[in-house]
Amino acid sequence: MNRALRFSPAFSISCVLFTLVFLPGCGGPAVPSDTLIYGRGGDANDLDPIHTDIGESVKVIVNIFEPLVAYDKETLDLVPGVAESWETSEDGREWTFKLRPGVKFHDETPLNADAVVFTFQRILDPDSPYAFGNVIPYFSNYSQIEKVEAVDDLTVKFTLKQPQATFLPTIAMFSSGIVSPTAVKKYGTEFSRNPVGSGPFKFEYWRPKQEILLSRFEDYWGDKAGVERVVFVPSQESSIRVIQLKRGEIHIADNLPPSDMDSLEGAEGVVVQSTPGINIGYLTMQTQKPPLDQVKVRQAVSHAIDLDRLIDVAYSGHAQKAKTMVPPTLWGHGENVPEHQYDVEKAKALLKEAAKEGGFELPVKLQLFVMDSPRPYMQQPRQTAIYIKDALEKVGFEIEIITNDIGQHFQRMTRGEHQLGLSGWSADIADPHNFLHTLLHSDNINKSGGNNLSQYKNEKVDELLDKAQFELDKGKRAQYYEEAQELIYEDVPVLPLVHVPVRIAERDNVKGYKLHPSSQVRLKSARLEE
Amino acid sequence: MWGVLLKRLVQAVATMVIAVLVVFLALRILPVNPVMARFGQHAVPEKIELEMERMGWNKPVWQQALAFGNQLLHGDLGESFARPGERISVRLGEALSATLELTLAAMLIAVPLGIFVGTVAAIWRNSWPDWISMAVALLGVSVPVFFLAICLILAFPSMPTGLRKPPGTPDFHTGFYFFESLVTGNFRMAVVCGRHLALPALALSTIPLAVISRVTRNAMLEVLDADYLRTARAKGAGILRVIARHAMPNASLSVLNIVGFQLGVLLSGAILTEKVFNWPGLGNYVVDGIRDYDYAVVQACALVTAGIFVVLNLTLDILFLLLDPRLREGRQS
Repeated sequence: MNRALRFSPAFSISCVLFTLVFLPGCGGPAVPSDTLIYGRGGDANDLDPIHTDIGESVKVIVNIFEPLVAYDKETLDLVPGVAESWETSEDGREWTFKLRPGVKFHDETPLNADAVVFTFQRILDPDSPYAFGNVIPYFSNYSQIEKVEAVDDLTVKFTLKQPQATFLPTIAMFSSGIVSPTAVKKYGTEFSRNPVGSGPFKFEYWRPKQEILLSRFEDYWGDKAGVERVVFVPSQESSIRVIQLKRGEIHIADNLPPSDMDSLEGAEGVVVQSTPGINIGYLTMQTQKPPLDQVKVRQAVSHAIDLDRLIDVAYSGHAQKAKTMVPPTLWGHGENVPEHQYDVEKAKALLKEAAKEGGFELPVKLQLFVMDSPRPYMQQPRQTAIYIKDALEKVGFEIEIITNDIGQHFQRMTRGEHQLGLSGWSADIADPHNFLHTLLHSDNINKSGGNNLSQYKNEKVDELLDKAQFELDKGKRAQYYEEAQELIYEDVPVLPLVHVPVRIAERDNVKGYKLHPSSQVRLKSARLEE
Repeated sequence: MWGVLLKRLVQAVATMVIAVLVVFLALRILPVNPVMARFGQHAVPEKIELEMERMGWNKPVWQQALAFGNQLLHGDLGESFARPGERISVRLGEALSATLELTLAAMLIAVPLGIFVGTVAAIWRNSWPDWISMAVALLGVSVPVFFLAICLILAFPSMPTGLRKPPGTPDFHTGFYFFESLVTGNFRMAVVCGRHLALPALALSTIPLAVISRVTRNAMLEVLDADYLRTARAKGAGILRVIARHAMPNASLSVLNIVGFQLGVLLSGAILTEKVFNWPGLGNYVVDGIRDYDYAVVQACALVTAGIFVVLNLTLDILFLLLDPRLREGRQS
């Protein structure tokens, strides 16, 4: 008879565990107090500032590392950071930075001129033993720097190959964060998992796909962080992130699709924040391949698309209509560029004309390349693509949607395999150069990794963009960019679609955290109220 | 008996080699440059070739395969490309222990419950307990895990929505959070980790539970119809005794078989469950690896998955030899 009870031990153990585990309140919240939990869609890949361009890594990096020059708390103005002051030589080729005395890295190493030189050597010197890997994603931003030298213990001098307007914003980028030379030498390639900087938070540990824990750096030179600890938690499903926020399991949730954001807007205990993003979502048109090599066909595409409708369909109304590649929140935005015109009849007429001149038949067949996963500037790529297909087919195109995963999508487009394609850009530095030069200068047509996906080549535009890059007078630069944007408008190599605001949702007991227009996640000022 | 095992062992190793080779080749057939895939819009054209060379991806595929084989012989799984500085062996160990803990918890629910339900259904065949339990089993296999997981989260508002432990609580030394806290006597933490484990385990247990109960029912029915059982009943043995002494041992072989198979399926990565509950297990790891074209990671995962099945099959073979006297005698004569 006792054999009949063969399974009962296992069964009773699981019964006991069940009751124990499901008993509400049992165990209680084990989360230590004064810990801010930041929920996001993915994990970091690398915490070494020079080796990553993944947003989820940058969110952590900007809290650990600090560049010489920082953004103002609320605006895109550049203010002293680790460097107290700086000056430029007459010809704009020499920049001298005075460092703040007494600044220390988290490992007690003093932050001095040698540390700054070491940081930039890793980027600039191809033979540096401390660079760990060949590809530095933002390398081109630094290519104008000729040398970096320590003048004395607290003075660093940068010499540029030619004066460059984007130098200072580049120095303020997260990838220019000053690293502790001691730590880099100590950890070697594993510095990417053991980052040591001088920022308001100190790295504690990283359990991949689970959590990254930072703690307040008590010896920070400025105002100390408002919370003792910050945990970055990846939560891949946005709907789960919403539930976690509503239940208070996380304090901040970012990167939520517009529909989820709307549902959170009225939720109890939840506050929604929004700031205009410095980004552009656009439609690229491969200008080297027929039929899109004809400007009339490109104009037809442009006039066929109703941006208001697109914003309703794919962004739940939460995006700003774009008229040029430079967002209006940034200086240098082309004020005089005409508004985008939605005109179906004009589109039809233009396409007919172009067909007659080019000797091709209607409907004109085009392939539209689409990425499979959302980007900050393209929150619902599939919906966007379907709307564009629908709109273009009404004026005489026939669209085939080709979906690729994000890696292949951009690779195939850099090779110019597309005709139409969804793309976009989030600013690395707050400068029009970063949009116009990167995305439309002919220097950036390159089959292995150029960002001029439309393969647009207009010598006049190139010349204006070059002039603006090496001019230091902001007024003159704005003038050049204005002219360039007008020319680009005429040529329609791209159709600017939207500028997407950055929105997050947070618990109402999170105080003091304000989204920055650069969309950097700087948690120093955040506090938790009981 | 030993001869059989040796043969199985050779087969097992061959299976693993073939599985890894297939994955190795499949990855390299993809028309993707992994360096460009990683750096996307920020790839620096001049440096891409350099990096390809550093990683050895410019060489002919057979040379890469040899290098990989050599590396494996030295017991080195290499380093992740998409997440620099990450030793694959370390991360794989963490992912595997997370998956193992989840799988064992799910099996702890599925096996006893599945056998119970199957047995009940077999005893009262073609009457209401049978119908109910088989309907539940059908539901168990057909409801998408993804959907079920979200339903569970909504149904238990006081339970954690995922992750292995509350964020910010002290780190563990091993990858087995629940067992570690039990062993170290930290019962409060064990309960907390158990709560985190509960919903994912429940979601994950439905399919094996359904499959096991159906197999148990069929196996029991087969045995219950056998002559020797009728004889036992005729001699006055009670139903419980018949089930426990006669039917169960004979039915247990096919049940064991299916339990082993389901264990393999769960261990090789419960991708959907892990995704919804943010469980940092093998499934999540391999999906990320594939998405990032992280060759070394995908290869390592393939190796481990193949290894899991091979080990499970071998274990099952041995268990069968031990449990079923017919197999042993057949071989000896």
